[in-house]
Amino acid sequence: MQDAHVAVMDAHWEGGASPFGATWQKTMMWIFIVTDGLLFSGLLCGYGYLRMASQTAWPHQSEVFQIWFIALMTFILITSSLFMAMSVTAARLGDRSKALTNLLLTIVGGASFLGCQAYEWSHLIHEGARLTSNPWGAPQFGQAFFVLTGFHGSHVLSGVIILIITAIRSAMGKTPPQGIEMAGLYWHFVDLVWVFIFTLFYLL
Amino acid sequence: MADSAQSNPYKAYWIAWAILLAITVTMLAAERLGMPRWFLILFLVAFMMVKATMISGTFMHLRYEHRRMALMVALGILLTSLTLFAFITPESWHVRERSAPNAQP
Repeated sequence: MQDAHVAVMDAHWEGGASPFGATWQKTMMWIFIVTDGLLFSGLLCGYGYLRMASQTAWPHQSEVFQIWFIALMTFILITSSLFMAMSVTAARLGDRSKALTNLLLTIVGGASFLGCQAYEWSHLIHEGARLTSNPWGAPQFGQAFFVLTGFHGSHVLSGVIILIITAIRSAMGKTPPQGIEMAGLYWHFVDLVWVFIFTLFYLL
Repeated sequence: MADSAQSNPYKAYWIAWAILLAITVTMLAAERLGMPRWFLILFLVAFMMVKATMISGTFMHLRYEHRRMALMVALGILLTSLTLFAFITPESWHVRERSAPNAQP
């Protein structure tokens, strides 16, 4: 019994075991996604705290944002995720041309989203929104908005940069299908975070 | 089912994309219907979780991964978030009551 236990422990601690049934690259990517997800979880909980603790009424989103514009940003991000998923599958099937085309479409989607976000930020700053104050009500609203969307935007920006590097390397034949899959996991995560920000910050 | 997936490996993504857009439009419409606040919160959070499950399951292929992997990701984030939220909610109410204009010092 003891020998069997030692054998099992050795088999795992000496390497070569795959408890998650995935390559180490994919396992590490998922662990990174969990940790990054916890960062956004903390930010969203912080936003909830600010909102629930606020003495002043929280601004109604429809007074501050053009919701159709935020819906357009959501549409762009979901569609870019579709292209990314198709790029990963095409790469796995060996269709390099299709994988690259979809990768480029994903980059266009990401860049468009960033453009929309830059427009939204400049519009709100022009209206008087700052980190410590805003013309619509609770001063914490500005903090929550800039910190949440700023962190997400920085993730979108880094995602676009990663995708551009992946596309260039893929065009040169230097990126294996697994490389596109890793970049895809990160991109979908960015989309996933937006689902939470869109609902909890823009709709509720 | 397998034949269908082989003939068009991208079909599942298009279906997921269409459902995600339909859910987004439904959420936007719900926000304007003037539902009771508690119902709107439940409704939007439920649809948010459906969207998150579809993105992670279909686009990120989490439903095809080992069950341990899916549990590590989903439970890791969800349980930590819920624990954090459960602790800060009463604290935020306490802070609001304490900073009210007529609050006892």
